[in-house]
Amino acid sequence: MLIAQKERMIDYAAEQVRRLKRLHEAFPRRNRYPRDPRFRSAIYDLEYVQIFSTLRDNRVDFLRDIYRTGGYIHFVKLLDSYYLGAKYLFIEVPENHEWWTRTLSRILIAGLVSGVFLTLLGIYLARLFVRPMRRSIELLDDFIQDTTHEINTPVHTILGNVEMIDPRNLSDRDRRRFERIAIAARSISTLYEDLKFLTLEQDRPLQEERIDLAQLLEERLEYFEILFRTKALRLHRDLVPTVLRADRRLIARLIDNLLSNAVKYNRRGGRIEVRLRPGVLEIVDTGVGMSPEEIEEIFERYHRFNDTEGGFGLGLDIVRRITEHYGMRIEVQSNKGEGTTMRVYFDAGETERREK
Amino acid sequence: MKPLLLSLFCAGTLSAVAGSFDRHCVPCHRKEGVSLRQTFMNALLIYSGEHNMKAGLKYFLYHPSIETSVMGRTYFRNHRLKKPSSLPEKEMDAALDEYWERYKVIGHLK
Ligand code: HEC
Repeated sequence: MLIAQKERMIDYAAEQVRRLKRLHEAFPRRNRYPRDPRFRSAIYDLEYVQIFSTLRDNRVDFLRDIYRTGGYIHFVKLLDSYYLGAKYLFIEVPENHEWWTRTLSRILIAGLVSGVFLTLLGIYLARLFVRPMRRSIELLDDFIQDTTHEINTPVHTILGNVEMIDPRNLSDRDRRRFERIAIAARSISTLYEDLKFLTLEQDRPLQEERIDLAQLLEERLEYFEILFRTKALRLHRDLVPTVLRADRRLIARLIDNLLSNAVKYNRRGGRIEVRLRPGVLEIVDTGVGMSPEEIEEIFERYHRFNDTEGGFGLGLDIVRRITEHYGMRIEVQSNKGEGTTMRVYFDAGETERREK
Repeated sequence: MKPLLLSLFCAGTLSAVAGSFDRHCVPCHRKEGVSLRQTFMNALLIYSGEHNMKAGLKYFLYHPSIETSVMGRTYFRNHRLKKPSSLPEKEMDAALDEYWERYKVIGHLK
């Protein structure tokens, strides 16, 4: 409190000294002691004799710097040049809390106003910078959605016609070409399904049903067969009949993506093992493998961890979404250069062993 | 005759002390053009208190030096230092008392 007052009393004292100096130079032509509505004051000489005073309380203390006396605060200033013979200048202000609270509220208001201003400025700037970014993301999303729609018909036309052709009727050269076309068509179809899942089917109501997981796996393996062949991959399957209650298309996407990755990152002439037990699906490849840091990152959308391989990197994001949706746990075990094992654990409540 | 002489003498010494300032200080200052008001204000700036000032000036008037003068160095660029006073101490004290009374600030501020 006293400290808070001191600062302005120092200012008052400096001001009063300037006035005393002017009076000293004009004395005795002018002899009116300088007064100020904000404070009262007194001057004393070196021998403690009062020269002049307008103080309310004349109990002055020459040894102190600032002190309280009967409802007033006295601040003492020692003069360097004794204008009018004064060595001591006393400044007196009433000891009221009014000034203090006024100052405090002023500080608070100023802080509040500048705080609000800065916040608004911050929001405005953030908007300004984020807007173009948000626009380009929206544009991309729109583009993907539109394209997905448009791809539907041609993809199915190609796939339908490819399946109608009997490769046995073709010459060896044509058969190889045909197989390449079939693979390409399937890749596009998988990509299409992924995109559709991410963009168009988000809000599709799920149809929960009992799925014969072993049978679904067989189906998908057959679909991938042609892909395995082109990379000369040997497939080992060990499927124990298992029933899962879920949306068939979601589980198909899950399996497709896991298989697709196992193929994509495998080496030529490698191996793929697919193992199914009640409660766990395991897909093992003999591919490039991943470091622990890479494993951390693979489930992020649009992440493609091997630049030499194509793909949008949507696959594992879809895997993550589906497993999260069904509360499944996914485990990745990998050694760089040796291969990767993906294990999906289903919730015990979702599985049942089919009696043979 | 004796008492008259005595009383005249007494009056003489008394008046010698009473008008000391006007007789011993003013004429020379008037002649030299050194304002006694100005010297007083200068002295106040340095000595502040009554007794301090009287003692200081007394010493100066008997032993003037540029270093202890209240006139400031610029004054002595074109003025000489005054001669040491030979005034008896009693009259010096009386003159300084009158000097103080005549020019003091205390009691003359409104
Ligand atoms: C012979 C002339 C003379 C007489 C007599 C004389 N003065 Fe001065 N006085 C001067 C002059 C010249 C100065 C300025 C130069 C200086 O200070 O040496 C001066 C300076 C002073 C000062 C300034 C002191 C300072 O520190 O510089 C005071 C005060 C003063 N006189 C008072 C007196 C008083 C009081 C008396 C009488 C007791 C007196 N003078 C008698 C000539 C005189």
